[in-house]
Amino acid sequence: MSIAVIILALAIGCYAVAVLEGWAVHGRLSLTRPATSALALLGREQILPRTSDRLFFEVGPVLLLVAGLLSVAVIPLAPGLIITDLAIGALFLNAALAYVLVALIMAGWGPNGAYGMVGGWRFLGQFIAYAMLIVMPITAVAMRAESLSTTQIVLSQAALWNIAYQPIGFVLFVIAAMGVAWLPPIDLPTGGGDLAGGVEAEYTGARLAVLRLARLVIIVALAGATVTFYLGGWLGPWLPGWVWTALKTLAVAAGMLALGSRLPRLREAKYLELSWKLGITLALANIFLVGVIALVVPI
Amino acid sequence: MMDLSGARQGLLRGFRGLVAGAMARDLRAFVVPGEDVANALGLDLDAAGLIRAVTPRHANVLLIAGPLPTALADAASVVWAQMPRPRCILALGEVDLGPLPSADVTAEMSQAGLISGLEDLRKLIRNGAFAPDIAEFDAPALSEWIEYTCPMHPEVISDEPGKCPKCGMFLVERRVSGAAPHAHEGHEGHEGHEGHEGHEGHEGHEKSSAVSTQAEKAHHQSDAVTSAETSASYVCPMHPEVTSDTPGSCPKCGMNLVPQAEAGEHAHHGHHAHHGHGHHAEPASEPTGPYTCPMHPEVTSDAPGSCPKCGMDLVPQTEPGKHGHGGHGGHKHHKDMPAQEGQGEHAAHGAHEQQDAHGAHHGHAGHGAAPDIPGIEPHFMSMVELTEGKPVSPDGLVMEWIDAPFGPFFPGLPGGLQMVLTLDGDSIAGADIKGMDAAALPSGVALEDFAASLADAVPLSPVAMRELACRAAEAATGQTAPKDVLTARAAAVERERIASHLNWLAGLARQVGLFSLSRKAADLQCDVRTAQADGLAEQEGAINSLLTAARQGSFLRSKLSGIGTLKGALEGPAARAAGHPSDARHGDVVYDELGFEPITQDQGDAMARLRQRCAEIAQSLDLIAEAGAIAMPAVPRAKGDGHGMAALETPRGPATLYLTLKGGMVSSTHLTTPFAALAAHVPDVIKQMELADALTVIGSLDLDPWSATQ
Repeated sequence: MSIAVIILALAIGCYAVAVLEGWAVHGRLSLTRPATSALALLGREQILPRTSDRLFFEVGPVLLLVAGLLSVAVIPLAPGLIITDLAIGALFLNAALAYVLVALIMAGWGPNGAYGMVGGWRFLGQFIAYAMLIVMPITAVAMRAESLSTTQIVLSQAALWNIAYQPIGFVLFVIAAMGVAWLPPIDLPTGGGDLAGGVEAEYTGARLAVLRLARLVIIVALAGATVTFYLGGWLGPWLPGWVWTALKTLAVAAGMLALGSRLPRLREAKYLELSWKLGITLALANIFLVGVIALVVPI
Repeated sequence: MMDLSGARQGLLRGFRGLVAGAMARDLRAFVVPGEDVANALGLDLDAAGLIRAVTPRHANVLLIAGPLPTALADAASVVWAQMPRPRCILALGEVDLGPLPSADVTAEMSQAGLISGLEDLRKLIRNGAFAPDIAEFDAPALSEWIEYTCPMHPEVISDEPGKCPKCGMFLVERRVSGAAPHAHEGHEGHEGHEGHEGHEGHEGHEKSSAVSTQAEKAHHQSDAVTSAETSASYVCPMHPEVTSDTPGSCPKCGMNLVPQAEAGEHAHHGHHAHHGHGHHAEPASEPTGPYTCPMHPEVTSDAPGSCPKCGMDLVPQTEPGKHGHGGHGGHKHHKDMPAQEGQGEHAAHGAHEQQDAHGAHHGHAGHGAAPDIPGIEPHFMSMVELTEGKPVSPDGLVMEWIDAPFGPFFPGLPGGLQMVLTLDGDSIAGADIKGMDAAALPSGVALEDFAASLADAVPLSPVAMRELACRAAEAATGQTAPKDVLTARAAAVERERIASHLNWLAGLARQVGLFSLSRKAADLQCDVRTAQADGLAEQEGAINSLLTAARQGSFLRSKLSGIGTLKGALEGPAARAAGHPSDARHGDVVYDELGFEPITQDQGDAMARLRQRCAEIAQSLDLIAEAGAIAMPAVPRAKGDGHGMAALETPRGPATLYLTLKGGMVSSTHLTTPFAALAAHVPDVIKQMELADALTVIGSLDLDPWSATQ
């Protein structure tokens, strides 16, 4: 039952994010465009590049979708409304997201085209930048909750949301999450001006639809993770819990998309430099601060 | 009713009707020759509700904005072949589409034309996206390509030069035409469509095979091949005794059988190759060294290595019944390796066995020269070996370099600009850049026609070109326009400068992913290009706030600062950004009257060029305000003979036109533009840059490939 509810919520969430993305990228808010685009994509011819690595080409988008769905599995919509409340939920999320890298490299390599290949390998560089900044802020969140269970993490924020408790971690996590979902300005694997679609460049028709859907799922999953870890999940007055989760998730997704359309694309080396020199230092400081606060002030 | 030229095969019924309706509303255009040209021609694609696709694979409309030179029409045909069906062509203006099918909808070159054209297109798609019979399309540019094949193993075919994975020989080049032999890889059952190669195709540089072939056609092709060859018998290139009436593989070694005639030559070589690999163990006639080439028995060496003639790995010479010799070879080969040290004779024999096994089963892979590493099995893919002979980049990392075409329709570059970048990973190892081979300027025509065709040939700055033609004509005929007319004409050139710089800003912003800035700049560009002096004064506030946003944005600044620094011999805005006050307007009487002084920056990097252009926009606004009126240049009446020269600071730098009149007609002309000088700097400046930075730097230069060769 809860699986069906969450999948439905995910579908609605993906649609809403697609609407928001149209607004951020094309400057137009249209409620019907994602539906027409998806239908139109399904009707287009699917082209298989001539000397493609068929296995990688076909598996890439599907694996991406699977990675996204797996990471959604541990995000609670409301108390008890979660696909699987794993004791190691936060770690599982991390593990599931690792497949995003594999899927993108496969999708980039598969078509045997320069743009896709460069895009896929660029994402490997991007992964090195964001990987630590996903894990380290989660560490601090788990320290406070004294649990890796996502439900416990939400409950631990009853008195004070983590965005206030550990704001540095929040900022780092959001930036890293934008890296995972290759949202602008960190859209290195697909950058239109750099790589003419990059990883997506050779996909058409239904395969492209799967690829785009997978990305939407990942965006929703990461916005949901941000809400779970930092914005108190379903916690909030007056409205039912699931409404709060949904509203917060959409707000986070909108924020990430709006930020992206106002910033120029980051250079890969710059992202690496920022992430490692500044980001990891701050993440360590965050862990230290959270540790001290957790010891001194019991909130 | 007219069908869609790029309909997808199928009946328009049920669900497909719904899909066709969705497609009609979801138009995604690939703009040819580019968005910059479309904007400069006054098209506002956003306002028309058109989404731009960054690759032809994601597009369903090929939007042709304005006339295309032949080379671009060829490249556009490749783009067309790459677009998935259903697809359609919307041509604006009078366009010769060359090899493309005729446009589904043709409209006049204007915003109204674009909007009405899209409306017609929507109707067409709604009713004709699927059709039972569809027209095939083969891009002529793709009907011939180069592939590489192994002289020994005809089944080995590669798009790139290299070595045969089976025997290590260098692949030889051959030119192929017709439908791609492996086009069948491209279709999927009833999808039945093209065997597209991939990414390169839409840049129109395709040397290999983005051939669009119907399933049926490809099958017919292979049938034809089969029937033509059934009369010949097939033979194994390695085992001449194996013959067959039908193609297939050799029961002894699994190689593909080749037609007898073709095999004749191979059989002999195959013999030697075979010998070398130790199956047949037949002695070479006069062995003089322990290693020899399986193809060239006269090549011998005391050490393992590759054949200087054909690149195959040398193999140890083995004679029947004399395994000791081969063993010795193996011994010699291995004795220098640390793994073998102190292991004595037995180790040497082990090495011999291994070597033989190698020869028989894996010798093809070219392990011969690779050192065996202790603890790692001998067939391990060694990076040292894989990257052997590959160029080394300055960072010391050896990678396979790839030549990737960018342009003429790359979304992050000016439309029409063609580049081939040698990519070493994500950085640039080399660049080859060229503009367009535009048609020669007409001669023997009236001045008015000449000015019009010059303006058409350079769509990014037609007003400046027209003014240039007028000034040259005035110099040739000795006429001068009244002062107020000259001032108004200068104001027209300045207005175009504003529009051109805004268009450039829109393109740069698009390239770096600043969509909102790009949209605003493109909108303003459309308004400015036809505005009168008072209209421009009204726009001043909007323009200034846009410029402030562009100049002050700290993220953009950090992206552009310090990259693409150009110093030295330069002209135009790039020179002024580097501190040289070189400007053809300086010292011009008309501009002096308006109080013109060149503006300069110091740094000479991409950010300085942005600041420079922003400052020039503000300056041009002031100049127009000072001039008070804008008038398009009118060509003077010409009679008699004469020779005239004029120089003008176009938005991209100084252009010079020499004009000779004979009997009132233009008899010869010579135009120089800033393109070549600026483009010549590009390869040096972008070397070793990351791809993204390199494209940004090229974008910041504002190259105009249309004026490349005149």
